[in-house]
Amino acid sequence: MNSSYEELKNIFVDIVDNSTYVELDSTAYNYSVLKSSLDKPLKMVLLYGKPGTGKSMLLNRLYHELKEYREIHYFNTPILSEKEFLKSIYEAMSGEEIPAQMRVNFDALLKYCLKLKEQREVVFLLDECQLYSEALMEKIRLLSDTRVVKFVITLHKTDKEDVIAKEHFKTRIWEVIEMSNANEYDMELYIQKKILNKGLIDFFKTMKKSHFKYIYGHTLGNFRETNKYLYTIFDIYEYYEKNEPAKIDNKKFSKKILEMAAIRLGYINA
Amino acid sequence: MRKLEELEHKWFNYKIKTILMPMVKVSSLYLVAVSLYYVYDKKEHLFSSVYAPSHHMTKVLGVSMEANNSVMARVVQTEETKHEKMKKEEVAPSASSSLEKVSFAPVIPVIDMEKEERVHHVKKRVKTKRKHVAKSNLVKAKANAYLTPKELGVMGQSSANKVVSSKVQSVKKVPHKTKKMHFTSTRANYAETIKSKFIKSNNPRDALLLAKLYYKKNNFKEAEKWALSANKLNNSLEESWFLFAKSKVKLGKKHEALKILVSYYKKSNSTKAKALIMQIKMGKI
Repeated sequence: MNSSYEELKNIFVDIVDNSTYVELDSTAYNYSVLKSSLDKPLKMVLLYGKPGTGKSMLLNRLYHELKEYREIHYFNTPILSEKEFLKSIYEAMSGEEIPAQMRVNFDALLKYCLKLKEQREVVFLLDECQLYSEALMEKIRLLSDTRVVKFVITLHKTDKEDVIAKEHFKTRIWEVIEMSNANEYDMELYIQKKILNKGLIDFFKTMKKSHFKYIYGHTLGNFRETNKYLYTIFDIYEYYEKNEPAKIDNKKFSKKILEMAAIRLGYINA
Repeated sequence: MRKLEELEHKWFNYKIKTILMPMVKVSSLYLVAVSLYYVYDKKEHLFSSVYAPSHHMTKVLGVSMEANNSVMARVVQTEETKHEKMKKEEVAPSASSSLEKVSFAPVIPVIDMEKEERVHHVKKRVKTKRKHVAKSNLVKAKANAYLTPKELGVMGQSSANKVVSSKVQSVKKVPHKTKKMHFTSTRANYAETIKSKFIKSNNPRDALLLAKLYYKKNNFKEAEKWALSANKLNNSLEESWFLFAKSKVKLGKKHEALKILVSYYKKSNSTKAKALIMQIKMGKI
């Protein structure tokens, strides 16, 4: 039998995958706002929040849900070179592959977009936009002005990124969706759904309210931190199961392991 | 594997820390609180008057439990503090002036050791002389100079004369020098003596003596204070309760006095206390 703890551990591997998406009350609301904003005559949609609040997950889900119904492209990793970025935009829109030695002229791309006005509406989902240069952001803004290309961008919420957002997009009509950490209840629900989706009900029953509270106390509802914490917990569990099974009780969730994981991740200064 | 062992070790240290730290914190806080209390208590004694105010004293004598605790706290004072207190009191003008007013006749048991020794020496010498005379004349001589007719009949004139003359001589030989002893035992002096004695001995009976002294002098406030001091040191001293209560009555605090006595009566079942209660109730004190 494959170790149940190994299975549990793998649930919390931090990957942006539509199959691992967990819908919570707060994320469901943000998703509906995001989805409806695409139908509005908006040039840009800004999704911002602290790292680990589920921005990428939301973009990913949007892409997978809408890719069958509309022209939507998802750049999950930022394309930092302007040449590559423009090439990718053109290739996505035209469906043609541009030879490696050739480059896309921005003015030509703009003209190309204008020609498609009121014929097509292409959505580009850009993740980690705080990494784009200001010049490139300016070009994104100009492309969105054609109303042929619509951008949904994500930004990490820091003072600097707020400034970028304000400077580049304040004159544009755009929807702003702020993502935040989950509350205690949502975080518990998040863990519960993740575990129950894999059918590991027995293990979930061993977790008590106090354990969730303890986890929340360290992760503060941040999804990335929660994934990391639970991954470490089950990693330790897996080790004991394989090497020292006498040290774990399958009927009881171990507070000791919870604390050990917190020490390993530096939540506790031991 | 080694990493997990290390992690376990860290966890073990963390647990010890989490268990011990609150205990250490609580105990250190307790220590700080206790030391602060003692520092405050000491300061209060250094800068306030020597004795507690009268209203406080009333409480001390068992009217309330709180006050009883304070009595215990005060009894545990150090010798040094007490010494300082007494010194301060002596310096305090109010205290000294009240002492001057005292007119109680002192009873100081003073023994003139020099005189005692001298008398003893003379007696010894007389005894040896008598022995000597009896052996030589075979006549039992009396301690005084007079002889019975029988003795006179047995003894010859000369020998009788010898005995008498030797007796007179021996009496004359006693070196009796009158020494002038300067005993200036005024009332104030007496109070001072008892006070200094009290400082040295910390004997509640000395405090009681002072209380009696002041009570007789109609200085009821002082009497009350000293009775309280005696009671603090030994609350089984019945007299201290009575003097305190009587002083209270004299100070117009009849109700308080009765309360104190009743509480003492309940505790001791003393007939004297009962009698005193009756006396106070009847207004005889």
